[in-house]
Amino acid sequence: MSFELYFELQSRRDTNMKCDWVRQNILFYVYNEIEDDARYEIEQHLGRCPECATELKATRKFQAELSETPVAEPTPNLLAASRMRLQEALETTRQGGLWQRLILEPAIWLRQIRMAPALAAAIFMVGFGGGIGATYNWVANRPSIVANDGNDKYSNPASPVEASAITGIRSVTQAPGSNQVNIKYDTVLTQEAQGSLNDQRIQQLLLFAARNNYNSGVRMDSVDVLTQAPGESNVREALMYVLQNDTNPGVRLKALDGLSGFVRQDNQVRDGVLRALIGDTNSGVRMQALRLVEPMKTDSNVRSVLTKLAQTDQNVSIRSQARTMMAQMPEMD
Amino acid sequence: MPADSYAVAFPVGESSRPRRAEQGSGNQNPITMRGSLAAQSNRIDDTSLIREAQEGNRAAFEVLVRHYDQSVLRLALHLTGSESDAQDVYQEAFLKAYKNLGSFRFECSFYTWIYRIVTNLCLDHLRKRNVRKEEAPVAVDASGEEYSRLEQFADVRSGANPERDLMQRELGRKIGTALSALTPRERMVFELKHYHGLKLRTVGEMLNTTEETAKNTLFRATQKLRASLAEMR
Repeated sequence: MSFELYFELQSRRDTNMKCDWVRQNILFYVYNEIEDDARYEIEQHLGRCPECATELKATRKFQAELSETPVAEPTPNLLAASRMRLQEALETTRQGGLWQRLILEPAIWLRQIRMAPALAAAIFMVGFGGGIGATYNWVANRPSIVANDGNDKYSNPASPVEASAITGIRSVTQAPGSNQVNIKYDTVLTQEAQGSLNDQRIQQLLLFAARNNYNSGVRMDSVDVLTQAPGESNVREALMYVLQNDTNPGVRLKALDGLSGFVRQDNQVRDGVLRALIGDTNSGVRMQALRLVEPMKTDSNVRSVLTKLAQTDQNVSIRSQARTMMAQMPEMD
Repeated sequence: MPADSYAVAFPVGESSRPRRAEQGSGNQNPITMRGSLAAQSNRIDDTSLIREAQEGNRAAFEVLVRHYDQSVLRLALHLTGSESDAQDVYQEAFLKAYKNLGSFRFECSFYTWIYRIVTNLCLDHLRKRNVRKEEAPVAVDASGEEYSRLEQFADVRSGANPERDLMQRELGRKIGTALSALTPRERMVFELKHYHGLKLRTVGEMLNTTEETAKNTLFRATQKLRASLAEMR
Protein backbone atom coordinates (compact mmCIF):
# COMPACT_ATOMS: atom_id res chain seq x y z
CA MET A 1 0.00 0.00 0.00
CA SER A 2 1.35 3.33 -0.99
CA PHE A 3 1.69 6.10 1.55
CA GLU A 4 -0.75 8.25 -0.44
CA LEU A 5 -3.44 5.57 -0.31
CA TYR A 6 -2.83 4.96 3.38
CA PHE A 7 -3.21 8.66 4.23
CA GLU A 8 -6.34 8.96 2.12
CA LEU A 9 -8.00 6.03 3.87
CA GLN A 10 -6.92 7.37 7.24
CA SER A 11 -8.32 10.78 6.31
CA ARG A 12 -11.65 9.24 5.23
CA ARG A 13 -11.90 7.27 8.48
CA ASP A 14 -11.24 10.41 10.52
CA THR A 15 -13.86 12.29 8.51
CA ASN A 16 -16.41 9.51 9.09
CA MET A 17 -15.74 9.59 12.82
CA LYS A 18 -16.15 13.34 12.80
CA CYS A 19 -19.43 13.06 10.89
CA ASP A 20 -20.80 10.63 13.47
CA TRP A 21 -19.88 13.01 16.24
CA VAL A 22 -21.36 16.03 14.42
CA ARG A 23 -24.62 14.20 13.67
CA GLN A 24 -24.93 13.23 17.29
CA ASN A 25 -24.46 16.81 18.35
CA ILE A 26 -26.19 18.72 15.60
CA LEU A 27 -29.48 18.66 17.51
CA PHE A 28 -27.83 20.31 20.51
CA TYR A 29 -26.16 22.77 18.15
CA VAL A 30 -29.60 23.76 16.87
CA TYR A 31 -31.01 23.96 20.37
CA ASN A 32 -28.02 26.00 21.53
CA GLU A 33 -27.01 23.38 24.07
CA ILE A 34 -23.39 22.98 23.10
CA GLU A 35 -20.08 24.29 24.37
CA ASP A 36 -18.40 27.09 22.43
CA ASP A 37 -15.40 24.99 21.37
CA ALA A 38 -17.65 22.17 20.13
CA ARG A 39 -19.77 24.73 18.31
CA TYR A 40 -16.67 26.02 16.54
CA GLU A 41 -15.64 22.50 15.54
CA ILE A 42 -19.10 21.72 14.19
CA GLU A 43 -19.21 24.92 12.17
CA GLN A 44 -15.77 24.18 10.72
CA HIS A 45 -16.88 20.67 9.79
CA LEU A 46 -20.18 21.81 8.28
CA GLY A 47 -18.26 24.10 5.96
CA ARG A 48 -16.30 21.16 4.59
CA CYS A 49 -18.87 18.32 4.74
CA PRO A 50 -21.98 18.69 2.53
CA GLU A 51 -23.62 15.57 4.02
CA CYS A 52 -23.52 16.98 7.55
CA ALA A 53 -24.69 20.35 6.22
CA THR A 54 -27.72 18.53 4.77
CA GLU A 55 -28.32 16.95 8.16
CA LEU A 56 -28.23 20.39 9.75
CA LYS A 57 -30.77 21.61 7.22
CA ALA A 58 -33.07 18.66 7.96
CA THR A 59 -32.82 19.23 11.70
CA ARG A 60 -33.64 22.90 11.32
CA LYS A 61 -36.57 22.05 9.10
CA PHE A 62 -37.88 19.61 11.66
CA GLN A 63 -37.51 22.19 14.41
CA ALA A 64 -39.22 24.84 12.30
CA GLU A 65 -42.03 22.45 11.46
CA LEU A 66 -42.76 21.85 15.10
CA SER A 67 -42.49 25.55 15.77
CA GLU A 68 -45.00 26.28 13.06
CA THR A 69 -47.62 24.94 15.43
CA PRO A 70 -46.84 26.62 18.73
CA VAL A 71 -48.57 25.58 21.88
CA ALA A 72 -51.84 27.34 22.52
CA GLU A 73 -51.99 29.63 25.49
CA PRO A 74 -54.71 28.72 27.96
CA THR A 75 -57.77 30.82 27.38
CA PRO A 76 -58.39 33.68 29.81
CA ASN A 77 -61.52 31.89 30.95
CA LEU A 78 -59.61 28.74 31.80
CA LEU A 79 -56.95 30.72 33.64
CA ALA A 80 -59.53 32.71 35.59
CA ALA A 81 -61.51 29.58 36.47
CA SER A 82 -58.33 27.84 37.62
CA ARG A 83 -57.35 30.80 39.79
CA MET A 84 -60.77 31.00 41.40
CA ARG A 85 -60.82 27.30 42.12
CA LEU A 86 -57.37 27.54 43.69
CA GLN A 87 -58.35 30.52 45.83
CA GLU A 88 -61.34 28.63 47.18
CA ALA A 89 -59.20 25.63 48.01
CA LEU A 90 -56.53 27.78 49.68
CA GLU A 91 -59.12 29.16 52.08
CA THR A 92 -59.59 25.73 53.59
CA THR A 93 -56.00 24.57 53.27
CA ARG A 94 -53.43 24.94 55.99
CA GLN A 95 -49.73 25.16 55.45
CA GLY A 96 -47.60 22.38 56.88
CA GLY A 97 -46.53 23.55 60.33
CA LEU A 98 -43.07 23.49 61.81
CA TRP A 99 -43.64 20.21 63.63
CA GLN A 100 -45.02 18.57 60.53
CA ARG A 101 -41.93 19.68 58.65
CA LEU A 102 -39.60 18.44 61.31
CA ILE A 103 -41.38 15.12 61.68
CA LEU A 104 -42.07 14.45 58.04
CA GLU A 105 -38.77 15.67 56.74
CA PRO A 106 -36.01 14.35 58.96
CA ALA A 107 -33.80 14.47 55.87
CA ILE A 108 -33.76 18.24 56.26
CA TRP A 109 -32.34 17.87 59.73
CA LEU A 110 -29.74 15.41 58.56
CA ARG A 111 -28.78 17.64 55.68
CA GLN A 112 -28.53 20.67 57.93
CA ILE A 113 -26.28 18.80 60.33
CA ARG A 114 -24.17 17.36 57.55
CA MET A 115 -23.82 20.72 55.91
CA ALA A 116 -23.09 22.54 59.14
CA PRO A 117 -20.62 20.77 61.42
CA ALA A 118 -20.58 23.86 63.62
CA LEU A 119 -24.30 23.42 64.23
CA ALA A 120 -23.77 19.77 65.09
CA ALA A 121 -20.98 20.73 67.49
CA ALA A 122 -23.16 23.44 69.04
CA ILE A 123 -26.01 20.98 69.58
CA PHE A 124 -23.59 18.54 71.20
CA MET A 125 -22.13 21.25 73.44
CA VAL A 126 -25.55 22.52 74.49
CA GLY A 127 -26.58 18.98 75.37
CA PHE A 128 -23.37 18.35 77.30
CA GLY A 129 -23.59 21.71 79.09
CA GLY A 130 -27.22 21.07 79.94
CA GLY A 131 -26.29 17.76 81.49
CA ILE A 132 -23.53 19.34 83.60
CA GLY A 133 -25.85 22.15 84.64
CA ALA A 134 -28.61 19.77 85.64
CA THR A 135 -26.18 17.70 87.70
CA TYR A 136 -24.80 20.83 89.37
CA ASN A 137 -28.28 22.01 90.28
CA TRP A 138 -29.19 18.63 91.64
CA VAL A 139 -26.10 18.53 93.84
CA ALA A 140 -26.46 22.13 94.94
CA ASN A 141 -30.09 21.74 95.86
CA ARG A 142 -29.89 18.33 97.43
CA PRO A 143 -30.43 18.48 101.20
CA SER A 144 -30.62 22.18 101.79
CA ILE A 145 -31.95 22.07 105.30
CA VAL A 146 -32.15 25.69 106.27
CA ALA A 147 -34.25 27.24 108.94
CA ASN A 148 -35.36 30.80 108.56
CA ASP A 149 -37.53 33.50 109.92
CA GLY A 150 -39.17 34.07 106.62
CA ASN A 151 -37.02 36.75 105.12
CA ASP A 152 -33.45 35.62 105.08
CA LYS A 153 -31.42 34.51 102.14
CA TYR A 154 -31.40 30.91 103.24
CA SER A 155 -35.13 30.77 103.07
CA ASN A 156 -35.99 27.20 102.42
CA PRO A 157 -39.17 25.43 103.37
CA ALA A 158 -37.29 22.24 104.00
CA SER A 159 -38.62 19.61 106.32
CA PRO A 160 -37.15 19.34 109.82
CA VAL A 161 -33.68 17.94 109.99
CA GLU A 162 -33.49 14.22 110.26
CA ALA A 163 -31.29 13.46 113.21
CA SER A 164 -29.83 10.46 111.46
CA ALA A 165 -28.71 12.69 108.60
CA ILE A 166 -26.62 14.90 110.89
CA THR A 167 -23.08 13.76 111.32
CA GLY A 168 -21.97 16.66 113.48
CA ILE A 169 -22.40 20.31 114.33
CA ARG A 170 -19.46 22.47 113.36
CA SER A 171 -20.27 25.73 115.08
CA VAL A 172 -23.01 27.65 116.79
CA THR A 173 -22.88 31.42 116.86
CA GLN A 174 -25.37 33.99 117.92
CA ALA A 175 -25.51 37.48 116.54
CA PRO A 176 -24.94 39.92 119.41
CA GLY A 177 -28.09 41.57 120.63
CA SER A 178 -30.48 39.40 118.66
CA ASN A 179 -32.02 36.01 118.86
CA GLN A 180 -30.63 34.96 115.49
CA VAL A 181 -28.51 31.84 115.65
CA ASN A 182 -26.20 30.54 113.00
CA ILE A 183 -25.40 26.86 113.07
CA LYS A 184 -23.03 24.99 110.84
CA TYR A 185 -23.66 21.32 110.82
CA ASP A 186 -22.63 18.31 108.81
CA THR A 187 -24.69 15.82 106.99
CA VAL A 188 -22.92 14.28 104.07
CA LEU A 189 -21.93 17.80 103.18
CA THR A 190 -21.49 20.67 105.55
CA GLN A 191 -24.55 22.83 105.54
CA GLU A 192 -25.64 25.93 107.20
CA ALA A 193 -28.86 26.82 108.94
CA GLN A 194 -29.90 30.23 110.09
CA GLY A 195 -32.98 31.29 111.91
CA SER A 196 -34.68 32.35 115.08
CA LEU A 197 -34.29 30.59 118.39
CA ASN A 198 -37.99 29.95 118.28
CA ASP A 199 -37.61 28.08 115.01
CA GLN A 200 -38.28 24.42 115.44
CA ARG A 201 -35.45 23.35 113.22
CA ILE A 202 -32.94 25.58 114.96
CA GLN A 203 -34.01 24.17 118.27
CA GLN A 204 -33.74 20.68 116.91
CA LEU A 205 -30.20 21.30 115.76
CA LEU A 206 -29.29 22.90 119.08
CA LEU A 207 -30.70 19.99 121.03
CA PHE A 208 -28.85 17.64 118.77
CA ALA A 209 -25.67 19.62 119.28
CA ALA A 210 -26.14 19.74 123.04
CA ARG A 211 -26.63 16.01 123.29
CA ASN A 212 -24.43 14.51 120.66
CA ASN A 213 -21.63 16.70 119.56
CA TYR A 214 -18.08 15.59 120.00
CA ASN A 215 -16.85 19.17 120.29
CA SER A 216 -17.37 20.52 123.79
CA GLY A 217 -17.06 24.09 122.58
CA VAL A 218 -20.01 23.55 120.25
CA ARG A 219 -21.94 21.86 123.03
CA MET A 220 -21.15 24.82 125.25
CA ASP A 221 -22.38 27.25 122.62
CA SER A 222 -25.51 25.19 122.02
CA VAL A 223 -26.33 25.01 125.71
CA ASP A 224 -25.59 28.70 126.07
CA VAL A 225 -28.12 29.45 123.35
CA LEU A 226 -30.63 26.98 124.71
CA THR A 227 -30.51 28.58 128.14
CA GLN A 228 -32.16 31.59 126.56
CA ALA A 229 -35.25 29.55 125.83
CA PRO A 230 -35.62 27.30 128.83
CA GLY A 231 -39.37 27.72 128.80
CA GLU A 232 -39.63 24.95 126.22
CA SER A 233 -40.01 21.57 127.86
CA ASN A 234 -37.78 19.87 125.32
CA VAL A 235 -35.07 22.49 125.98
CA ARG A 236 -35.26 21.77 129.69
CA GLU A 237 -35.04 18.07 128.99
CA ALA A 238 -31.95 18.66 126.88
CA LEU A 239 -30.36 20.79 129.61
CA MET A 240 -31.14 18.08 132.15
CA TYR A 241 -29.58 15.53 129.83
CA VAL A 242 -26.48 17.69 129.44
CA LEU A 243 -26.25 18.23 133.17
CA GLN A 244 -26.38 14.54 133.81
CA ASN A 245 -24.32 13.19 130.95
CA ASP A 246 -22.04 15.78 129.42
CA THR A 247 -18.39 15.02 129.96
CA ASN A 248 -17.38 18.64 130.11
CA PRO A 249 -17.99 20.32 133.49
CA GLY A 250 -18.17 23.72 131.86
CA VAL A 251 -21.04 22.56 129.68
CA ARG A 252 -22.77 20.96 132.67
CA LEU A 253 -22.30 24.18 134.59
CA LYS A 254 -23.81 26.10 131.72
CA ALA A 255 -26.78 23.73 131.65
CA LEU A 256 -27.16 24.21 135.36
CA ASP A 257 -27.31 27.94 134.83
CA GLY A 258 -29.97 27.43 132.24
CA LEU A 259 -32.04 25.37 134.61
CA SER A 260 -31.66 27.79 137.53
CA GLY A 261 -34.99 29.49 136.95
CA PHE A 262 -36.95 26.26 137.08
CA VAL A 263 -35.63 24.66 140.22
CA ARG A 264 -38.46 26.10 142.25
CA GLN A 265 -41.33 25.29 139.96
CA ASP A 266 -40.25 22.11 138.18
CA ASN A 267 -39.78 19.07 140.41
CA GLN A 268 -37.98 17.17 137.68
CA VAL A 269 -35.46 20.00 137.32
CA ARG A 270 -35.06 20.12 141.07
CA ASP A 271 -34.42 16.38 141.19
CA GLY A 272 -31.96 16.69 138.33
CA VAL A 273 -30.06 19.43 140.11
CA LEU A 274 -30.06 17.34 143.30
CA ARG A 275 -28.65 14.38 141.37
CA ALA A 276 -25.90 16.65 140.07
CA LEU A 277 -25.31 17.89 143.58
CA ILE A 278 -24.86 14.38 144.85
CA GLY A 279 -23.14 12.64 141.99
CA ASP A 280 -21.36 15.19 139.79
CA THR A 281 -17.66 14.65 139.61
CA ASN A 282 -16.90 18.32 139.45
CA SER A 283 -17.01 20.30 142.64
CA GLY A 284 -17.72 23.51 140.82
CA VAL A 285 -20.86 21.99 139.36
CA ARG A 286 -21.87 20.65 142.70
CA MET A 287 -21.29 24.00 144.41
CA GLN A 288 -23.44 25.68 141.78
CA ALA A 289 -26.13 23.02 142.23
CA LEU A 290 -25.97 23.61 145.96
CA ARG A 291 -26.54 27.29 145.46
CA LEU A 292 -29.47 26.58 143.20
CA VAL A 293 -31.24 24.36 145.64
CA GLU A 294 -30.61 26.64 148.61
CA PRO A 295 -33.89 28.52 148.21
CA MET A 296 -35.62 25.15 148.14
CA LYS A 297 -33.99 23.83 151.26
CA THR A 298 -37.32 23.45 152.94
CA ASP A 299 -38.25 20.83 150.32
CA SER A 300 -38.02 17.42 151.92
CA ASN A 301 -35.85 15.98 149.13
CA VAL A 302 -33.51 18.96 149.25
CA ARG A 303 -33.31 18.78 153.01
CA SER A 304 -32.48 15.09 153.06
CA VAL A 305 -29.78 15.62 150.43
CA LEU A 306 -28.33 18.56 152.37
CA THR A 307 -28.39 16.51 155.56
CA LYS A 308 -26.50 13.72 153.86
CA LEU A 309 -23.98 16.11 152.30
CA ALA A 310 -23.42 17.92 155.61
CA GLN A 311 -22.64 14.66 157.29
CA THR A 312 -20.74 12.57 154.80
CA ASP A 313 -19.60 14.49 151.72
CA GLN A 314 -15.93 14.14 150.99
CA ASN A 315 -15.69 17.64 149.63
CA VAL A 316 -15.02 19.94 152.55
CA SER A 317 -16.49 22.96 150.88
CA ILE A 318 -19.68 21.14 150.00
CA ARG A 319 -19.97 19.64 153.47
CA SER A 320 -19.36 22.98 155.10
CA GLN A 321 -21.80 24.78 152.86
CA ALA A 322 -24.41 22.14 153.40
CA ARG A 323 -24.01 22.40 157.15
CA THR A 324 -24.33 26.16 156.99
CA MET A 325 -27.44 25.86 154.99
CA MET A 326 -28.86 23.30 157.34
CA ALA A 327 -28.05 25.55 160.29
CA GLN A 328 -29.90 28.41 158.70
CA MET A 329 -32.85 26.25 157.97
CA PRO A 330 -35.79 26.88 160.30
CA GLU A 331 -36.75 24.09 162.64
CA MET A 332 -39.24 21.75 161.18
CA ASP A 333 -42.41 21.21 162.99
CA MET B 1 -27.33 28.53 45.00
CA PRO B 2 -28.07 31.57 47.14
CA ALA B 3 -31.51 33.01 46.87
CA ASP B 4 -30.22 36.45 45.98
CA SER B 5 -28.72 35.21 42.75
CA TYR B 6 -32.26 35.17 41.36
CA ALA B 7 -32.69 38.85 41.96
CA VAL B 8 -33.08 39.89 38.35
CA ALA B 9 -35.15 42.95 37.62
CA PHE B 10 -37.75 41.89 35.10
CA PRO B 11 -41.44 42.55 34.78
CA VAL B 12 -43.58 39.74 36.04
CA GLY B 13 -46.94 38.22 35.31
CA GLU B 14 -48.77 38.27 32.04
CA SER B 15 -47.19 41.52 30.91
CA SER B 16 -43.78 39.87 31.00
CA ARG B 17 -44.65 37.52 28.20
CA PRO B 18 -42.81 38.51 25.06
CA ARG B 19 -44.87 39.87 22.22
CA ARG B 20 -44.81 38.10 18.90
CA ALA B 21 -43.01 41.03 17.27
CA GLU B 22 -40.05 40.35 19.54
CA GLN B 23 -39.67 36.84 18.22
CA GLY B 24 -37.81 35.55 15.24
CA SER B 25 -35.07 38.14 15.20
CA GLY B 26 -31.66 36.88 14.09
CA ASN B 27 -31.01 33.18 13.92
CA GLN B 28 -32.52 32.48 17.32
CA ASN B 29 -35.34 29.98 17.29
CA PRO B 30 -38.47 31.97 18.12
CA ILE B 31 -39.79 29.34 20.49
CA THR B 32 -36.48 29.07 22.27
CA MET B 33 -36.34 32.83 22.44
CA ARG B 34 -39.77 33.00 23.97
CA GLY B 35 -38.96 30.19 26.36
CA SER B 36 -35.71 31.72 27.51
CA LEU B 37 -37.43 35.04 28.13
CA ALA B 38 -40.14 33.24 30.01
CA ALA B 39 -37.52 31.46 32.07
CA GLN B 40 -35.76 34.74 32.66
CA SER B 41 -38.97 36.41 33.69
CA ASN B 42 -39.44 33.77 36.32
CA ARG B 43 -36.04 34.42 37.76
CA ILE B 44 -37.28 37.43 39.59
CA ASP B 45 -36.70 38.28 43.10
CA ASP B 46 -39.49 36.28 44.67
CA THR B 47 -37.55 35.87 47.87
CA SER B 48 -39.58 38.30 49.96
CA LEU B 49 -42.86 36.92 48.61
CA ILE B 50 -41.76 33.38 49.39
CA ARG B 51 -40.70 34.34 52.90
CA GLU B 52 -44.00 36.09 53.55
CA ALA B 53 -45.91 33.11 52.19
CA GLN B 54 -43.84 30.80 54.36
CA GLU B 55 -44.97 32.84 57.36
CA GLY B 56 -48.55 32.10 56.40
CA ASN B 57 -49.36 35.15 54.26
CA ARG B 58 -51.82 33.72 51.75
CA ALA B 59 -51.99 36.94 49.74
CA ALA B 60 -48.23 36.76 49.13
CA PHE B 61 -48.64 33.19 47.95
CA GLU B 62 -51.38 34.20 45.54
CA VAL B 63 -49.11 36.88 44.05
CA LEU B 64 -46.44 34.23 43.69
CA VAL B 65 -48.93 31.94 41.97
CA ARG B 66 -49.71 34.63 39.41
CA HIS B 67 -46.04 34.84 38.46
CA TYR B 68 -46.02 31.24 37.35
CA ASP B 69 -49.52 29.96 36.87
CA GLN B 70 -49.97 30.81 33.21
CA SER B 71 -46.95 28.85 32.08
CA VAL B 72 -47.88 26.04 34.47
CA LEU B 73 -51.35 25.87 32.98
CA ARG B 74 -49.94 26.00 29.47
CA LEU B 75 -47.60 23.11 30.19
CA ALA B 76 -50.36 21.08 31.83
CA LEU B 77 -52.79 21.80 29.03
CA HIS B 78 -50.34 20.79 26.34
CA LEU B 79 -49.25 17.65 28.12
CA THR B 80 -52.63 16.42 29.23
CA GLY B 81 -54.56 17.65 26.23
CA SER B 82 -57.58 18.32 28.39
CA GLU B 83 -58.73 21.52 30.07
CA SER B 84 -60.17 19.70 33.04
CA ASP B 85 -57.02 17.60 33.51
CA ALA B 86 -54.91 20.72 33.15
CA GLN B 87 -57.01 22.43 35.79
CA ASP B 88 -56.58 19.45 38.09
CA VAL B 89 -52.81 19.50 37.65
CA TYR B 90 -52.77 23.27 38.20
CA GLN B 91 -54.85 22.96 41.36
CA GLU B 92 -52.94 20.05 42.78
CA ALA B 93 -49.55 21.58 42.00
CA PHE B 94 -50.19 24.91 43.71
CA LEU B 95 -51.92 23.34 46.70
CA LYS B 96 -48.98 21.02 47.12
CA ALA B 97 -46.63 23.99 46.83
CA TYR B 98 -48.63 25.91 49.45
CA LYS B 99 -48.64 23.03 51.90
CA ASN B 100 -44.94 22.34 51.46
CA LEU B 101 -43.71 25.89 51.09
CA GLY B 102 -42.13 25.65 54.54
CA SER B 103 -39.70 23.05 53.23
CA PHE B 104 -38.53 25.32 50.40
CA ARG B 105 -34.95 26.21 51.39
CA PHE B 106 -33.90 28.42 48.47
CA GLU B 107 -31.50 25.73 47.33
CA CYS B 108 -32.93 26.09 43.84
CA SER B 109 -35.06 28.78 42.26
CA PHE B 110 -38.74 28.82 43.12
CA TYR B 111 -39.36 28.44 39.38
CA THR B 112 -37.47 25.13 39.34
CA TRP B 113 -39.18 24.04 42.54
CA ILE B 114 -42.74 24.67 41.31
CA TYR B 115 -41.95 23.14 37.93
CA ARG B 116 -40.60 20.06 39.66
CA ILE B 117 -43.99 19.64 41.31
CA VAL B 118 -45.86 20.27 38.08
CA THR B 119 -43.72 17.96 35.97
CA ASN B 120 -44.09 15.17 38.51
CA LEU B 121 -47.85 15.53 38.46
CA CYS B 122 -47.90 15.64 34.67
CA LEU B 123 -45.66 12.58 34.45
CA ASP B 124 -48.05 10.73 36.75
CA HIS B 125 -50.91 11.80 34.54
CA LEU B 126 -49.14 10.66 31.36
CA ARG B 127 -48.23 7.31 32.92
CA LYS B 128 -51.79 6.70 34.05
CA ARG B 129 -53.03 7.58 30.62
CA ASN B 130 -50.54 5.19 29.03
CA VAL B 131 -51.74 2.43 31.34
CA ARG B 132 -55.33 3.13 30.35
CA LYS B 133 -54.18 3.19 26.73
CA GLU B 134 -56.08 6.33 26.04
CA GLU B 135 -53.77 7.30 23.32
CA ALA B 136 -56.35 8.42 20.84
CA PRO B 137 -55.83 12.11 20.17
CA VAL B 138 -59.36 12.87 21.24
CA ALA B 139 -60.07 14.41 24.59
CA VAL B 140 -62.97 15.87 26.52
CA ASP B 141 -63.02 19.49 27.56
CA ALA B 142 -64.46 20.97 30.73
CA SER B 143 -67.93 21.17 29.19
CA GLY B 144 -67.80 17.49 28.21
CA GLU B 145 -67.42 18.17 24.54
CA GLU B 146 -64.99 16.02 22.56
CA TYR B 147 -62.18 17.75 20.76
CA SER B 148 -58.87 16.87 19.20
CA ARG B 149 -55.86 17.16 21.46
CA LEU B 150 -53.91 18.24 18.48
CA GLU B 151 -55.92 21.40 18.32
CA GLN B 152 -54.17 22.46 21.47
CA PHE B 153 -51.57 23.79 19.06
CA ALA B 154 -52.36 27.39 18.34
CA ASP B 155 -53.34 28.16 14.81
CA VAL B 156 -51.32 31.28 14.32
CA ARG B 157 -52.71 32.20 10.96
CA SER B 158 -56.24 31.13 11.43
CA GLY B 159 -58.51 32.78 8.94
CA ALA B 160 -55.71 34.19 6.79
CA ASN B 161 -55.67 31.37 4.29
CA PRO B 162 -58.20 28.49 4.49
CA GLU B 163 -55.99 26.08 2.55
CA ARG B 164 -52.97 26.80 4.66
CA ASP B 165 -55.17 26.67 7.73
CA LEU B 166 -56.20 23.13 6.79
CA MET B 167 -52.57 22.12 6.26
CA GLN B 168 -51.63 23.57 9.63
CA ARG B 169 -54.37 21.61 11.32
CA GLU B 170 -53.21 18.46 9.56
CA LEU B 171 -49.62 19.06 10.63
CA GLY B 172 -50.74 19.76 14.16
CA ARG B 173 -52.61 16.48 14.21
CA LYS B 174 -49.55 14.60 12.99
CA ILE B 175 -47.31 16.26 15.54
CA GLY B 176 -49.77 15.45 18.29
CA THR B 177 -49.84 11.80 17.28
CA ALA B 178 -46.05 11.67 17.12
CA LEU B 179 -45.72 13.32 20.53
CA SER B 180 -48.16 10.92 22.11
CA ALA B 181 -46.01 8.01 20.93
CA LEU B 182 -43.13 9.18 23.14
CA THR B 183 -42.59 7.84 26.63
CA PRO B 184 -43.81 10.22 29.36
CA ARG B 185 -40.27 11.20 30.23
CA GLU B 186 -39.23 11.78 26.60
CA ARG B 187 -42.37 13.79 26.09
CA MET B 188 -41.63 15.88 29.15
CA VAL B 189 -38.03 16.62 28.21
CA PHE B 190 -39.01 17.52 24.65
CA GLU B 191 -41.86 19.67 25.88
CA LEU B 192 -39.71 21.60 28.34
CA LYS B 193 -36.87 22.06 25.85
CA HIS B 194 -38.70 22.71 22.62
CA TYR B 195 -41.91 24.42 23.67
CA HIS B 196 -40.76 26.07 26.89
CA GLY B 197 -37.18 26.80 25.85
CA LEU B 198 -35.60 25.66 29.09
CA LYS B 199 -31.94 24.79 29.33
CA LEU B 200 -31.29 21.07 29.60
CA ARG B 201 -29.49 21.69 32.88
CA THR B 202 -32.71 23.17 34.30
CA VAL B 203 -34.76 20.34 32.80
CA GLY B 204 -32.43 17.88 34.52
CA GLU B 205 -32.91 19.70 37.85
CA MET B 206 -36.67 19.66 37.47
CA LEU B 207 -36.76 15.97 36.70
CA ASN B 208 -34.22 15.12 39.38
CA THR B 209 -31.70 13.88 36.88
CA THR B 210 -28.47 15.03 35.23
CA GLU B 211 -28.05 17.32 32.26
CA GLU B 212 -26.42 14.45 30.38
CA THR B 213 -29.44 12.20 30.91
CA ALA B 214 -31.77 14.98 29.82
CA LYS B 215 -29.59 15.41 26.71
CA ASN B 216 -29.81 11.74 25.84
CA THR B 217 -33.56 11.74 26.41
CA LEU B 218 -34.01 14.76 24.13
CA PHE B 219 -31.92 13.08 21.44
CA ARG B 220 -34.03 9.93 21.63
CA ALA B 221 -37.29 11.87 21.61
CA THR B 222 -36.25 13.89 18.58
CA GLN B 223 -35.19 10.79 16.66
CA LYS B 224 -38.55 9.17 17.37
CA LEU B 225 -40.49 12.29 16.39
CA ARG B 226 -38.60 12.68 13.13
CA ALA B 227 -39.21 9.06 12.30
CA SER B 228 -42.91 9.29 13.14
CA LEU B 229 -43.42 12.45 11.12
CA ALA B 230 -41.51 11.02 8.17
CA GLU B 231 -43.78 7.97 8.17
CA MET B 232 -46.86 10.18 8.13
CA ARG B 233 -45.83 12.07 5.01
